[in-house]
Amino acid sequence: MKRIMIETEKCKGCKNCAIACMKAHMPDGVPFSLTDTRLEARNVILLDKDKQYRPLFCRHCDNPSCIKSCMSGAMTKDSATGHVYYDPKQCAGCFMCVMSCPFGVLKPDRATKTTVIKCDFCKDHGSEPSCVKQCINQAIHVEEV
Amino acid sequence: MKHVIIGAGAAGITAAKTIRERHINDEIVIISTDEAVYSRCMLHHYISGQRSLQALSFVTDDFFKDNNIKWLSNVTVAHIDTKGRQVVLECGGYESYDRLLIATGAQSAFPDIKGLSGTLGVFGLRDLPDARAIAEKAVKAEHVVILGAGLVGMDAAYGLLALGKKPVVVEMAKNILSVNLDSMAAAAYQEQFEQAGASFKLEAKICEVLSDARGAISSVELSDGEQLPCDLLIIATSIRPNVKWLESSGISLERGVVVDKYLTTSAEGVYAAGDVTGISGTWPDAMSQGETAAMNMCGCAVAYSDFIPPMKCTMSFFGIPTLSVGRFIASDGDEVTLRMSKDRYEKVVMRDDIPVGVILQGDISRSGYWQYLIKNQVSTAGIQKPIWKVSFADAYSIESNGEYKWVL
Repeated sequence: MKRIMIETEKCKGCKNCAIACMKAHMPDGVPFSLTDTRLEARNVILLDKDKQYRPLFCRHCDNPSCIKSCMSGAMTKDSATGHVYYDPKQCAGCFMCVMSCPFGVLKPDRATKTTVIKCDFCKDHGSEPSCVKQCINQAIHVEEV
Repeated sequence: MKHVIIGAGAAGITAAKTIRERHINDEIVIISTDEAVYSRCMLHHYISGQRSLQALSFVTDDFFKDNNIKWLSNVTVAHIDTKGRQVVLECGGYESYDRLLIATGAQSAFPDIKGLSGTLGVFGLRDLPDARAIAEKAVKAEHVVILGAGLVGMDAAYGLLALGKKPVVVEMAKNILSVNLDSMAAAAYQEQFEQAGASFKLEAKICEVLSDARGAISSVELSDGEQLPCDLLIIATSIRPNVKWLESSGISLERGVVVDKYLTTSAEGVYAAGDVTGISGTWPDAMSQGETAAMNMCGCAVAYSDFIPPMKCTMSFFGIPTLSVGRFIASDGDEVTLRMSKDRYEKVVMRDDIPVGVILQGDISRSGYWQYLIKNQVSTAGIQKPIWKVSFADAYSIESNGEYKWVL
């Protein structure tokens, strides 16, 4: 499967990845805005205790805790791509996936708090992650693993 | 190899999927009393009419076909012949097995209340027939009473409020959701439920159920003597593992089916997973046990490690999400950190620099690491940060295949 590989030492915390992600996941009819809560990045860059940038991107884990906690069948691993996809229509908004991701990647959506914000590997953009394309420091790249 | 799985809930379905992933040619049979595969965590959405039976399913429409699984639905197992290695069905037939998984879940347990037994209009909320009966009864019901303000009781209340009912919730504890939340977090939800039309009788018990000449419930009497009119009573006080049918099988039983760390029962080739073991009552734990049992059924020895899981839950009522993990009531020697604002309430209980409990209400964004910290008793002593700022970033490591790993 393809995974977004992270080279933390190259990350300068510019958040281009977050903007790219927001732009790639704009609901129909919602123009881009940094303040519209309906637009959210699936990724985030955290700071560790030594003030190092720690990019947090969904790993589409080999053994995903989010799927293993999903009671609605909304979270599934695609057998062809290996990616973990989320179906907001099937989701009942219980947020057990949010609790179960040991890395704290997942979150409820800010605007309605009924669905989950989850990386879909830009499957609607040819499965070429927008964050990777926009990373000016090449801190992230896609690799077959 | 032939695997028979009794039960089509979280544990049974996960086990079947796991076996199929590992052994493409093994025979798999699932036997379920349930007529459909559905998530019981969503039954209140069925009561409210927000989801159809089909939308309660947590597997794809073609799950059984795609995975080459024989499914005997609407079929109840009468008993297990562990010597002959066969499962005897109530309808007369039988299924032989090489490996058997008992994943029959749990059932509602009704408290011993005068006048309760046999009275019409009284339901648990555990299975699809319960939800159907409640939905049907709710059409005309004017006085709904729910006994128990745990997650099931509050789900029932939420579903019934959506139908325009005004349920009265009777609860023994001082606050609602007392197993899952402290009084502060519970109060936020209670207020919302009250605004929506529910009312609460806390620190109260039902001491008698009264019925009319037809045997249908007409009112309930509380311990302080107050009588509440009632034509629909939902009991959501507790559950017990579904093991009564196993009493003649010779398989070791306590409260649930007794299992060792490989989730094997006392009978050879027989495993158990999910609520029927009585280890835990959560969906993720049932899935995890189903997976572990299946690995062992496939001959790959995998120990289950989570026999005393910390309390963990998330909930979301009225657009307020909450995460609660571990022990959220402090005892002597604990350090408690609180953070509050208009829309948020957050509490962490620490013991010797180790987080032992957390409640996050209002915003649970990217909070999954809390369960990891608490479950693994991770010391945060070396991290010079306020506890709110601690996250996976402080234990950040990446493996060669790109997966994350906790390193502290």
